[in-house]
Amino acid sequence: MKNEQIHEMAQKLRLETVRMVYEGKDGHPGPALSIADIVATLYFDTMNIDPGKPEWEDRDRLILSKGHSCPIVYAALNERGYFEPKVEHFNLRQLHSIFQGHPSMHSTPGIDMTSGSLGNGIAIGAGMALAAKAQGKDYYTYVICGDGELQEGVCWEGINTASGRKLDNLILFVDRNGWQSYKSVDFTVGHNNVAERIRAFGWHVQEISGHDIGAIKSAITIAKSNRGVPSCIVCDCVKGKGVSFMEDNNAWHKGVPTDDEYAVAVKELGGAE
Amino acid sequence: MTKFKGTREAFAAALMDMAEERKDIVLISPDSLKAMRAVPFGEKYPERYVECGIAEQGAVDTAAGLASAGMTPFVGTYAGFLTMRACEQMRTFVGYTNLNVKFLGVNSGLLGGEREGVTHQFYEDLAVVSSLPNYTIFTPADPAQCYQAVKKAAEVEGPVYIRAGSGREVDVYHVNAPFAENGITVWKEYGTDAVLFSSGFVLDRVIKAAELLKEQGVNVTVADINILYGNNPSDILKVMEKSSQLFTIEDHNINGGLGSYISRLACENKPAHVTRIALTTYGESGPAKELADAYGFSPEAIAEKVIKTIQ
Repeated sequence: MKNEQIHEMAQKLRLETVRMVYEGKDGHPGPALSIADIVATLYFDTMNIDPGKPEWEDRDRLILSKGHSCPIVYAALNERGYFEPKVEHFNLRQLHSIFQGHPSMHSTPGIDMTSGSLGNGIAIGAGMALAAKAQGKDYYTYVICGDGELQEGVCWEGINTASGRKLDNLILFVDRNGWQSYKSVDFTVGHNNVAERIRAFGWHVQEISGHDIGAIKSAITIAKSNRGVPSCIVCDCVKGKGVSFMEDNNAWHKGVPTDDEYAVAVKELGGAE
Repeated sequence: MTKFKGTREAFAAALMDMAEERKDIVLISPDSLKAMRAVPFGEKYPERYVECGIAEQGAVDTAAGLASAGMTPFVGTYAGFLTMRACEQMRTFVGYTNLNVKFLGVNSGLLGGEREGVTHQFYEDLAVVSSLPNYTIFTPADPAQCYQAVKKAAEVEGPVYIRAGSGREVDVYHVNAPFAENGITVWKEYGTDAVLFSSGFVLDRVIKAAELLKEQGVNVTVADINILYGNNPSDILKVMEKSSQLFTIEDHNINGGLGSYISRLACENKPAHVTRIALTTYGESGPAKELADAYGFSPEAIAEKVIKTIQ
């Protein structure tokens, strides 16, 4: 897909995310908008998937380790054709909805792994990548985690396993938006130097803008050309990207827009007024 | 089949035997290959041995990832490092997801942990795992049964936790005895003055206690519970009906293991007096046999408790 089309799709996913949270009256819009361009690129350009066969064993996998960002993935699955008929109202976080508050692999077709308890996606991704090698399959496993999430010790257990086992079929995106629930990542850990840290663990690391579709595509190509080590793409992102009052405003880590705010968001994201 | 030195050797042997035929079997090691006596497995099947290092949470996550992609991973290490340190991973990424991951927790109980002391003795594992839906819990009583339990675990669809020891287990079962399908094996039927339910590696002690009791004119039934909180307790209920005096003996904390299970079955199905012989404190270092004796698991102490209770 052309970069401009992917950008338009990312905007559409953002709009759907804000609508999902607005209608469901709960959720995390800021962290979801942050990764819209990465998610759109993966689902609409990169990943070898078949929406008609979500369990296809040769498919590429995606683990949304920062599971609270799931509305953006739910929107992507919907636009990609995983649900028949297409979902109009997600009923996010409502009783009996297939769209759980955090991703659940047995609730939602297309969700490759349950997530939401922070820190676990990298080690789980290592397991998927190991399975591919054991089975002689050439699928890729993608993991998206947050920069704050990397404070979880188990992340580094997975990072160790991936380098120890030379998992070059594992690609990790770090959404470096600089924020976590309470304050900035800098405030919490002193210095948000995730690239240096992960590089020190033996990974191939690139740093790009997480909102530049061309850069995301190129980084994936480079990551795939690297053999013998796992790859990490650190993406500088703006939390709440695309909605002016949410951008870089950590109050929108979790929050529900008022009617007026929703109208502004819809307008800014190019939705129908 | 030859006898095994201990449950860990039995585990490694079962894995080796299965790996020959099943390409989906993988061994996940949180630096536990030596402890699990599985070095030969790692050498023979390097592509199916995953070393995760001293990192149990990551190891369980990695196993979940492997299982989600069609492999059957076995994670073996000390019981508490699995069920407590990696408890959340066992719950959320294996239990909730109902993935096909098998766990072998070694050094369980005083008998399993012995001289290592409290940091390496685990008597809470069953309480933890029994509160996690989708898990099947096997409690083999000796190495031969552990071998069978590991093979059985590979046939079960979904998560399985096997409670194992460290090599001090006394052989009780015939070396070729199959793993009980219905979760219970009756060992002695001297009478119905009481039923003594045993779980795990104290079985030989419970059988000896029954013999001591017989000498004193108290005739009891002894049964080994092989599956805790299983789907079909009907055979266990049948044995429970033999007496209104039930005893549970387990090298585990008094809460959450066999005693809790039998108490629940009694409350829900056939009210009876249940006396639980189990641990109520942390343990300490010491040789296995003397340690178990000191904490109330000698045949004499078990027999005395039975007599005092039913008189």
